[in-house]
Amino acid sequence: MSSVRAHSCVDCRHFNGRPLDVEQALPGLSSLSSAYAAVRSGDGICAVHDRYVAASSVCAGYTNLP
Amino acid sequence: MAEIAEHAHARLSIRPSAWRELIRKEDWWAIWIGLRLVAVAIALFANGGSIKWIAVAPQKWSHLANAAAQLQTHGAQYAALCVLWAASLGIGAAALGIKLSRFLPAFLALYVVAGAIYFLGLWDQAAHYNLEPPLVALGLGLLISNTVGAPRWLEPGLRVEFYIKTGIVLLGAGLPLTLIAWAGPVAIVQAAIVSLVTFGVIYFSAVRLGLDRRLAATLGTGGAVCGVSGAIAIGGAVGAKKEQVSVAISLVVVWAIVMIFVLPLVARSLHLSTGVAGAWIGTSEFADAAGLAAAQTYGGYAGNVPGIAGNADAAVSAFTLMKVIGRDVWIGVWAFVLSLIATTRWERTGVQNKPEAGEIWRRFPKFVLGFLVASAVITIVSKGYDYAAYKRVVLPGLVAPLQALRTWAFTFAFLSIGLTTKFREFASVGARPFYAFTIGVVVNVLLGFVLSTQVFSEFWNRLGQ
Repeated sequence: MSSVRAHSCVDCRHFNGRPLDVEQALPGLSSLSSAYAAVRSGDGICAVHDRYVAASSVCAGYTNLP
Repeated sequence: MAEIAEHAHARLSIRPSAWRELIRKEDWWAIWIGLRLVAVAIALFANGGSIKWIAVAPQKWSHLANAAAQLQTHGAQYAALCVLWAASLGIGAAALGIKLSRFLPAFLALYVVAGAIYFLGLWDQAAHYNLEPPLVALGLGLLISNTVGAPRWLEPGLRVEFYIKTGIVLLGAGLPLTLIAWAGPVAIVQAAIVSLVTFGVIYFSAVRLGLDRRLAATLGTGGAVCGVSGAIAIGGAVGAKKEQVSVAISLVVVWAIVMIFVLPLVARSLHLSTGVAGAWIGTSEFADAAGLAAAQTYGGYAGNVPGIAGNADAAVSAFTLMKVIGRDVWIGVWAFVLSLIATTRWERTGVQNKPEAGEIWRRFPKFVLGFLVASAVITIVSKGYDYAAYKRVVLPGLVAPLQALRTWAFTFAFLSIGLTTKFREFASVGARPFYAFTIGVVVNVLLGFVLSTQVFSEFWNRLGQ
């Protein structure tokens, strides 16, 4: 878990990895799986790219949390 | 969703930590809850007692008066069991971030309805009218959620995966480790053949139809490895668009629900044995919860439907070996490999992932460890008993009560599947993703059928005996 780098998505203000928000954003996810599942790891949704990305990802649009 | 991320200034994610995972992931909570129940059961058994008083389950009944009498006689036990489940699952839900004050009323309602369905399934005419508990729970839930809609206050209690994983850990207590060691390699070989072929068919069909490779991979693992869990794991690993993940989820859920009804029906018409049918369902269903609903339904036919050989538990056992041991445990490997390919071979998206072998462990479905530990512990406890003594002492005093708790957990899950599946909220999938996925479904079902009923049939039949 220590592989998450500085300035990666998990620390970006555009990234949302909160389980309930992820389930709300992906209808059907909680029917046969879960955002609390280990397989999801720390993935979340990037509001800038509108992509579902790994927490350890990086991009040029990184913005620090306020 | 963009609004969700943008409007808030609070932190919307938590930095991953190996220790935090132990209390923030439901896989681990399924282990803590399941193994605690197993440990208490063993401790009581070792001291001449049993958890069977609290692990109460309905018995066969023929008239409503019989069922009412059962309820009256065992009312205190059902109330105690409700408290046990509410406390165990409630602590886990609270640790995951679900408010206890919202979870408990929802769970109480779920428990009452699940109990009614469990009772209905024990009616001596239930099989005649196809009133198998998994199908009734699923059908009732689907009917409510897609007509009047499940009330909002019920939503915090509808945690399909939390219940199904807890049930799978308890299922380990009924499967000797020796059986897993004997059947596991065959399950892995059969599952590997089907997974690779199905993934290849969906992926290349999708690419041929002009779909994006990230969508193709997300669809492929959704169909070939572990359903919705596979789709979200790979969607995240390759950085798929949000709508692509939604499309994959919609297709997996719809086909998985269709298969819950179709696979047992076809297997029943062909009089497949419970072991063979369980293996086929394990090869060709897409999600654990959906597959267990189908397998438990089929197990219920044993002894009730003429011409179906094998014992009732064989369907669930064969399914679990095939799906959990054969397919689920490899999701981390799929994620790592596809992440590597996406990063090095596919077009750039603006978001860069860094594939690492650690991904294999991070995405590993940890509840499988609980399943294996439960199996190992019960195998050790049973070691000193011969078969007759096992049937006379260990089964009723230790294993059967844990199996009853497992059935409760599964019933919570089956009811939750229906109540959380709202077809009108699903993403519009489009024709090309539908065709690509459906081609894969057809190949998956046919190949799974041939492998289960022809190539490895003798093996799966023996499991049922």
